[in-house]
Amino acid sequence: MLRASAACEAGGIPSSSLVCEGFIRQAATTSVGLGMPNLPVARVPGHVGVQSNEELGRNILEVTVERVIANLTCEPAQAGEPLEPRPREVVFKGDFDAVNRCFYENEWSDGLPIVPPTREKVEAFFAFTDRGPDEVLGVLLPDNRAATVWSIAVNGVMAGCRPEYMPILVALIEAMADPRYGVEHSGNTPGGETLIILNGPIVKQLGFNYTQGALRDGFLPNTSVGRFWRLYLRNVAGFLPHKNDKATFGNTWRVVLAENEEALAKISWEPNSVEMGFNAGDNTVTIARYTGSSALSSVSGSTPEQVLPILADGVLKQTLWTIVFTVGLTMGTLRPLLVLSPILAETIARRGWSKADVKRYLFEHCRIPAWEFERQLRDWSQKPIWNLAEEARLGHIPKVFHESDDPNRMVPIVFKPADFMIAVTGDVLRHNAHVFAHNGALGYPVGKRIRLPEGWERRLAELGK
Amino acid sequence: MFNGGTERQYQVFWPRSPRQMQLRSLAPRLKTLEGKTVAQLWDFLFRGDQVFALIEEGLKARFPGVRFVSWREFGNTHGADEREVVARLPQRFKELGVDAAISGMGC
Repeated sequence: MLRASAACEAGGIPSSSLVCEGFIRQAATTSVGLGMPNLPVARVPGHVGVQSNEELGRNILEVTVERVIANLTCEPAQAGEPLEPRPREVVFKGDFDAVNRCFYENEWSDGLPIVPPTREKVEAFFAFTDRGPDEVLGVLLPDNRAATVWSIAVNGVMAGCRPEYMPILVALIEAMADPRYGVEHSGNTPGGETLIILNGPIVKQLGFNYTQGALRDGFLPNTSVGRFWRLYLRNVAGFLPHKNDKATFGNTWRVVLAENEEALAKISWEPNSVEMGFNAGDNTVTIARYTGSSALSSVSGSTPEQVLPILADGVLKQTLWTIVFTVGLTMGTLRPLLVLSPILAETIARRGWSKADVKRYLFEHCRIPAWEFERQLRDWSQKPIWNLAEEARLGHIPKVFHESDDPNRMVPIVFKPADFMIAVTGDVLRHNAHVFAHNGALGYPVGKRIRLPEGWERRLAELGK
Repeated sequence: MFNGGTERQYQVFWPRSPRQMQLRSLAPRLKTLEGKTVAQLWDFLFRGDQVFALIEEGLKARFPGVRFVSWREFGNTHGADEREVVARLPQRFKELGVDAAISGMGC
């Protein structure tokens, strides 16, 4: 919304942005990143989502309209450029506690103690990349800061990463900067959190946990790389709570989910990296943002026909309101993720079912009545402009969403079977699953190959790995 | 952590990196909205269809000659194709004779 306003202003068209009362501070910080700190906003009292038509009318006509007129006809105050340190500037000298106090007070840490990013610590990370410190991997909204390799190393040190994790950190920030991911949406109110999936020989080389407790803290690589992601979102992209991060509740960062490729090889299922377009055996990261997740406990049965209905039911129930990313807010960008424990995947695969077969099953069985889908789109989200018949007629959505006018017809929750994602990890001998509800285009799955430096094996050997 | 009874001192780097966007000027404001054409830009969220109708009502009461270009002309400014929709705005504004824009809903 503010990005559209900034584009108007840059093109010589004066703008006024309509901002609900609780979002004024976010608008102010986002405007700084857009290079227009004085971008004018018109306050909408309270929140429109809980107002009657009469209250909404009174608020807009008595408060907002006056501000819109002023924004479009009165010159706003000039804005100054905020002063900041230079790149690679030493910003503080002090003992461990003082450094941590400084970083916390400047909103550079997540509240846990950080490892002080000293020259010695930061430079050690450059032993594990061929990239130069000033190389820029992209520019990250909303703060509009350069994603430099130097800043990756600094935040990696702070998170407690070891230097040899650097190739993974670089790949992660390449993914964060990929426009398909949509990092600029990371402060939206559902407060979703990114999940990082790791594939390839690097999982074992660097000692990532990929068995029991795969999503639990307690394993240095999984935990510190997950923490790095959130620190980088804070410090370089600019997502700070009470400012650009407007998560109503939010989650803490997630530890890295490493796939169990031994289990996958045993059942001849391709790893997630292949789903993302890479070769089996490549070292890759995949990122996507999820609004929540839930465990499916004791998915019991000895055949696919017995366990798949339980899994489909779990995927459907976890998806909830996020169907607005299938039809509505965006079209066809919902990618629910189903994580299976190895023994569960084996139970399905031993009867000859491939991953693609499972996805087809989910597509056919994760369905809801059309009236229920439209209730979410129109009534519950207060967006009366959407309906399945019209979107199908316009060719915006597949025909499967409107094969008749029967409101009880069953419609899918995604555009196509391949929109479902499946990963295999966790306790090898426990028949549980885990479902993640996806945040659509506001955190779309993006994969990147991890580029290892020349002499990687030698460099690891020097560390005794 | 400790060095000869004195706690170790650290010299630490800034964890951020430079902003890439220079400070930019806003567009000149209009003298009046009378006789002007105002574009409505919407992210298809939070009752914007109702809010824009109310704003039209309020502005027309003050400036009877103001005209509006509906949000329907521009598409969703917060959808998966946000970048394309926003990039097309200057050209669309020229075609439609737009003088000012109202963009919602930040909620």
